Amino acid sequence: MNDELLTLYYYRDGLTEAERRDVAAALESDAALRAAYEQLCRDLAQLGTPQEVAVKADVVARWHDSIERAARLERQRLPSRGRLLHVPSFAWGTVLAAVLIAGIGIGFYVAGTRVPVLDGASVATGADSTLPASRTSSLAFVRGLKVHLSKSRRELAGLPDDAAAERAALIAQMIEQNRLFERAAAQNGSRDLARVLRAFEPILERLAADDVTPREAEVLQAQLAFELNVMLTKLGRGESEQAGPI
Amino acid sequence: MTRVPAIFLGALILMTTSTAFAQADESEELKIAALEALMSAPPERALPIVRKVLAGSGSAELKERALFVLGQIDLPEAQSVLVDTAQNGSGALRLEAIRTIGIGGNPQALAGLADIYAAGDSETRDAVLEAWLIADDRDAVYRVAANTQDPEEFENAVETLGAMGALEQLRALKNRSGMAELLIEAYAMAGDVETLSALARDASDPERQAQAIQGLGVTGGDEVGGILVDIYRDSNDAGVREAALDGLMIAGEDERVLELYRDSRDAAEKRDLLQLLVMMGSDAAWDVIDKTLEDGQ
Repeated sequence: MNDELLTLYYYRDGLTEAERRDVAAALESDAALRAAYEQLCRDLAQLGTPQEVAVKADVVARWHDSIERAARLERQRLPSRGRLLHVPSFAWGTVLAAVLIAGIGIGFYVAGTRVPVLDGASVATGADSTLPASRTSSLAFVRGLKVHLSKSRRELAGLPDDAAAERAALIAQMIEQNRLFERAAAQNGSRDLARVLRAFEPILERLAADDVTPREAEVLQAQLAFELNVMLTKLGRGESEQAGPI
Repeated sequence: MTRVPAIFLGALILMTTSTAFAQADESEELKIAALEALMSAPPERALPIVRKVLAGSGSAELKERALFVLGQIDLPEAQSVLVDTAQNGSGALRLEAIRTIGIGGNPQALAGLADIYAAGDSETRDAVLEAWLIADDRDAVYRVAANTQDPEEFENAVETLGAMGALEQLRALKNRSGMAELLIEAYAMAGDVETLSALARDASDPERQAQAIQGLGVTGGDEVGGILVDIYRDSNDAGVREAALDGLMIAGEDERVLELYRDSRDAAEKRDLLQLLVMMGSDAAWDVIDKTLEDGQ
């Protein structure tokens, strides 16, 4: 039981009901802790409330105007950027996509030619002007993308219905990761795949909208889950055909 | 495990259930799972099955799923069915066919969307714009923006170009009268720092200049902080300087605001900049406050 926890308990902030009960029980049973908490309460009470900074009305109005304008543009650019993202998971997507972009780039450079990574026809026919290095990186990209699609599918299934902020954060994170993969695909000549990934984004944005009804959300999630599954199946087919017979 | 049994199983499920009267949830789910499995089939085998589903009496949802699968089949006949559905289908199925054409990216099919757009209602037009966005067909969207006299249609097209990051096409629309604010928003969405910087330094229209300065803040990026600081320093106009500070706040450039604070010799300006740092929640604000109080002792 540390000061940070006791401070949160004092301010009734940041603790779950269960955590609050644990702290209350510890205070009840531990006299030394209770004494420390009482001292903390006295210290915190002395801090008082911070003095408000007086800002002129016209300045506030200008700020409001700027914030509204910025918020409107941000909504158009990307739902809930930045702080809402789940950092470890977002970092995972970023690192994976960056590795894939670099890997594929190096693969093409070594091969000395740009070839479609997953252009439907070339995968379906196992078309093969592809040199070994780019084939390896293509397969790496496909495997990375499969992981991304599988992960998106799992996250989609686990979207909470009753926690709007958490839901919005998860969807924003999915959009960010999807964009990274779309960019990776586009930069490396896999336009077919880039289009499919781009098509997922409007669905995700609608899912993140404030006014989406539970029924609409259910329909959209089902559609996205289906399309993710179809792409996973197609990628599985492409990968096995590209690998060729052993 | 070979692919063939899966294909036959999928086909069997779809064909035997497509004419059923009662569409129980489980049956629907099974059909959708069978459609997914069709992706593992060779295109020439999958196509007739998907066509059958589209022509059958299945639910709208099942047919929409079938359209997505159809879009992933690399055969000219599949494109023909899609175009036909986009032109002559009904309701949601038609809109889904339009989207699927965007995903497919077939140049001929995409070009055909122009006629569908021209003849369509607002829902259809939105679907076509989305399809072009998915296909990254910037010129098609540009043509809509360049040729329309309807402000709402222009707005939709310009917003789409902004989302596509279509710098060249947006710049070509720069002289469109009465649409400066909308275009500035699109430049900001597209991350067009170059155009926004030029507009932000052009004092011929103060309102447009202020909008462009704020647009730079929204765009963000490594170079924007420096540009906004230069605009602030180079201008004597209060409105421009306020807009530059707004831009710095929107971009979260607290280090740049701190730089202005440190360089300033004007007490009133310093007070405003300090307030801005506090509003931005900058850690640097506390150092400044500490230093200011220390100096006063």
